[in-house]
Amino acid sequence: MPVFPSGEMAVKVFGSLFGVLLEDEDFVARARQEELSVRLVHTKPDCEIYVAPHGVFAGEQPQGPAAITLRMTCDTAHALWMGRLLVPVAIATGRLRIRGKVAKVLELVPMLRPAFDRYPDIAAASGIGA
Amino acid sequence: MNTALSESVSEAALNFDVLPYEVEQFRDAARNFARNVVKPRVQDLDQAPAAHFDWETVGHGHRIGLTRAAVPKEYGGLGVGMLGVATALEEVAAVCPGTALVFGATLLGQAPVLLSGDPRLQARFLPLFSGDEPVLACNAVTEEDAGCDLIIPSLAGHARNVTTARRDGDHYVLTGRKRFITNAKVAAFASVFANMAGSAGATGLTSFIVPLDLPGVVRGPVADKMGYRACLGSELEFHDVRVPAEYMIGAEGEGMAINMAQSNMARAAVAGISTGVARSALEQAVTWCGERVQGGRHLKDQQFTAAKLADMAAKVDAARMLYLRAADKVDNELPPPVYEPAAAKLFADRTAIDVAETALSLLGARGYLRSYGVEKMMRDALGTRIYEGTPEVLALAITDSLYAEQDEW
Repeated sequence: MPVFPSGEMAVKVFGSLFGVLLEDEDFVARARQEELSVRLVHTKPDCEIYVAPHGVFAGEQPQGPAAITLRMTCDTAHALWMGRLLVPVAIATGRLRIRGKVAKVLELVPMLRPAFDRYPDIAAASGIGA
Repeated sequence: MNTALSESVSEAALNFDVLPYEVEQFRDAARNFARNVVKPRVQDLDQAPAAHFDWETVGHGHRIGLTRAAVPKEYGGLGVGMLGVATALEEVAAVCPGTALVFGATLLGQAPVLLSGDPRLQARFLPLFSGDEPVLACNAVTEEDAGCDLIIPSLAGHARNVTTARRDGDHYVLTGRKRFITNAKVAAFASVFANMAGSAGATGLTSFIVPLDLPGVVRGPVADKMGYRACLGSELEFHDVRVPAEYMIGAEGEGMAINMAQSNMARAAVAGISTGVARSALEQAVTWCGERVQGGRHLKDQQFTAAKLADMAAKVDAARMLYLRAADKVDNELPPPVYEPAAAKLFADRTAIDVAETALSLLGARGYLRSYGVEKMMRDALGTRIYEGTPEVLALAITDSLYAEQDEW
């Protein structure tokens, strides 16, 4: 059974998560400097989120070209953010697939630390358990 | 002619001659290094005793960034990606593939750290490569009884006598012996693949970064190889080596997937090395056939020889196109693609052997002499076919890709 009952719920949780990152001035400054934009394509349930320094957008309407696209199931995303699935393992096993400049991706991962710290609480607030 | 159409075609056209600026700069630096530093020493490097290692040459390569080409800029690297690595290694390999492999093996040792996404590991190990003195790394997979068993998941259960790792508090304890490890004699650290104690075969394969100055690490004797003599292949023994738990990459039992991912990355660069060998043999043949006169005509003007030269040139170009595509894909996809690097390596390895053999044949008796260097290309070309995937292993990877479901994007 999927962790998320609906795509709307997944958008709410993951959207909030990236909202947290955009409150981090260092992250935003770095994202602007690197011209970083990320398109998250989640499946089971399906949803899409676009993250850029100027905001988080949900839905399949393109908000512009994304520098990086990440594709994974919502369950994989949940396991990643909860820290139960590690990024190198997710990548190596193909559970997380990425298109875009790999060098940019490798720089992005350490910048996500605050989101990893906050995710369990954000998920729990929406009734998504561990 | 429809002008609008031709303009749009022109804008969209692929330009096979222009590389990104930083990649081109790095490739040119590698070309100068190969011609000015390596070439004058290449015969000595080839004919020295097996255990001889030329740190001075490596130091020159280090100064232009060959030890840190794929390391992100924030850690002192060049950040030129696999495209930069592969094109630079083609240049070095065109003069000395053994020297190219010293740097290629270092990249392979760095790959798990790059893939880890762990800022602590990256901050600990990646800045080592941007100091004044050259630092090298290596990748330790192969063992006496286990080669393909450690790189093909379906064979993992059959692996025998694999190096083991067992958890002991906040450390893992590694015990076992690796063989044929390029750079093991000279590297500062190794990415080591060990099977978790209690797991059958290699089903618990796990990846670790192991500093080679840890107690219990023994660097074994250097193998006396047919080619690639500028780089050292040796054994690496682990006698109850205690490795901090935070030096594990990913998770226990995920080493096979990590090893495959880094192999897929590296094959694009190895195809660049093979292309360099083939190109060099072609250049020798072109020079010779343009000078040598028999029957009142240059060899190049005789149809039978011309056909051979044309075939060699087309193959070298095709090999380069395949590795450039593979490297570009590696720089833009995670997990690294399987098909393109494997296809590039399979073709480039075969091309290196074919072109070196034809060049040797065209040069006749001179091709068989050490002083002309073509016999060295032949020996080196045979080596490239073995490491980072034999033709048989590559064929399995390619065939699996042909039957795999297409990714949805």
